[in-house]
Amino acid sequence: MTDKDVQILLVEDNKADAMLTMRALKKHNLANNVIHLIDGAQALDYIFGTGEYEGRNIDNKPRVIFLDLKMPKIDGLEVLRIIKRDERTKLIPVVMMTSSKEEADIVESHKLGVNSYVVKPVGFDNFSKIIADLGFYWLVINNTPQ
Amino acid sequence: MGKIIVDELIVANQELAFEKREKGKRAAELVIANKELVFQNQEKEKRAEELIIANKELVFQNAEKEKRTAELIVANKELVFQNEEKEKRAAELIIANKELVFQNEEKEKRAAELVIANKELVFQNQEKENRAAELIISTLANNKEREKAEEYLERLAAIVEFSDDAIISKSLDGTIKSWNKSGEKMFGYTAEEAIGKNISLIIPPEFIDEEKKILKRIGNDEIIEHFETVRIKKNGKLFHVSITISPLKDNSGIITGASKIIRDITLSKKYEEQLIEINKDLIIQNKEKEKRSMQLEEANKELESFTYSVSHDLRAPLRAINGFTQVMVEDYIDQLDEEARIVLEDILANSIKMGQLIDNLLAFSRLGKQRVSLVQVNIKEIVASAIAELKKDEPNRILHITIKKLEEIKGDRNMLKQVFINLISNAFKYTGKKQDAEIEIGSYRENDQCIYYVKDNGAGFDMQYYDKLFGVFQRLHSSNEFEGTGVGLAIVQRIIAKHSGKVWADGKVNEGACFFISLPDFPDEFDKQ
Repeated sequence: MTDKDVQILLVEDNKADAMLTMRALKKHNLANNVIHLIDGAQALDYIFGTGEYEGRNIDNKPRVIFLDLKMPKIDGLEVLRIIKRDERTKLIPVVMMTSSKEEADIVESHKLGVNSYVVKPVGFDNFSKIIADLGFYWLVINNTPQ
Repeated sequence: MGKIIVDELIVANQELAFEKREKGKRAAELVIANKELVFQNQEKEKRAEELIIANKELVFQNAEKEKRTAELIVANKELVFQNEEKEKRAAELIIANKELVFQNEEKEKRAAELVIANKELVFQNQEKENRAAELIISTLANNKEREKAEEYLERLAAIVEFSDDAIISKSLDGTIKSWNKSGEKMFGYTAEEAIGKNISLIIPPEFIDEEKKILKRIGNDEIIEHFETVRIKKNGKLFHVSITISPLKDNSGIITGASKIIRDITLSKKYEEQLIEINKDLIIQNKEKEKRSMQLEEANKELESFTYSVSHDLRAPLRAINGFTQVMVEDYIDQLDEEARIVLEDILANSIKMGQLIDNLLAFSRLGKQRVSLVQVNIKEIVASAIAELKKDEPNRILHITIKKLEEIKGDRNMLKQVFINLISNAFKYTGKKQDAEIEIGSYRENDQCIYYVKDNGAGFDMQYYDKLFGVFQRLHSSNEFEGTGVGLAIVQRIIAKHSGKVWADGKVNEGACFFISLPDFPDEFDKQ
């Protein structure tokens, strides 16, 4: 997989959630071009070509970012804020993935310009279905400016 | 021809004869007229003579009138003169009157001043009262005024004598000079006992210094008003008083002593002390309450972050448990025996159940923060949509649902919808095992409350456990019997409490339950937690 082919950027600190998300994507043949990053700091380094991703061509943007809200160091809201504030990255669709339906988080995310806000269900059947739906929607159904 | 002439002649003759007769008549008439004229002339002459006489008379009368006119003019002049004199006198009288009025006013003023002076004197002592009375009486020249003044003085004396306040006078060396009835009542000394004694008679030893200061101020012509201190009775009992002290002067204005008006304020002092005590208590209570409310607020915040953690952090591992179990089922089902499969299914079901519990707990705790937004709510509509939704989940259930009159009410639409969904879904759930499930939903008014009820003929409940009915996670049925997390009714109660309403229920095992909610027409407190 080259940098150019990345379609889904999964930012998730929870190993289990990451595994289950990958499994769900795999199940629906959406896992070929997924890159998994483990926290907000790594995500920003990747997106802006800094730190361990120094020199990465940042014009190669993922087609969608699945962003966990609650993460150590830099949380999902902060990552979202930085992405949406920057002219180079503001058009990348961001889906906020979280465990709780906290009204304040929902409002804040939308104020920052989130493209979707999804609560991860406990049951794997539902979880898997939602991940698949999101993948199809952002990669197949939706048209994003190139 | 001749005949005609004859005829004419005859006619002419006849005429002539007629004329002659006429002339004769007229002559006779003329004679009569002449006689008449002669008579008239004679009459005229007579009248002329009479007129001459009358004229003479008139001339005489005129002369008389002129005389009288002249006399009248003279008289008039006299009158004018007299009038002028009168005006002069009137003017003089007005001035005199003004002077009198002024003098009267002055007298009144003086009288008023004297009354005031007398009032003071009255307070001083009986001796001076008598003199003041004499003074007033001699000053007010009129008898009526004198009577009034006497009456007034009597009244003042009575006021002093029967006043509730002790009114006492003393000389500058502290000798008691007068002592009224209240003084007797208040201190226990009669006038005979008190007069002539030193004022220290009624002052507790520890307050003696205070008296010296007072006397000094009185000596400086000061009036001391409502001075609160303690005095002592004949029986040695101390009591609180409020004293007003004014200097007494003799005729030349030299201060000779003081009058004291002493009021017993034991009772009001007692009330005041009680009030202070009560106030202190209230302040302490308030502080306690503040402390408690702060603690509660603190606890609430903690609870909030706790619920947040619960909902967020507990769901993640649960998702893992469920997800990986699912992975086991999907990937390794062939390698598992029947029991292992059942165990895995149980793990899946329980993790889902726990997820629901967490969601419900979160919903319940979130309700605490939520504010009620007040609108007119069509309960009929809410009930209809709740029933429609519930029926969708169980399309094959046969239920007899009766919807009676449902009043509109002011409230939070979403919250009230939640209430009816919870109550009606309970009714659906607990009638699940009945052959002829019956549900009735209605409302009625009581005072300024609207009461809604949801009644079913389902499993009911034992009134013995009524107090557990609305508790969070409290259930009166096992999950095997009826599924549930035990949050539904707790949410109902919380929402209705937020609307300043009440929730109660009635039930009997296997016969059914009826849940009531009352909502006020004009809910006032909406920030209830």
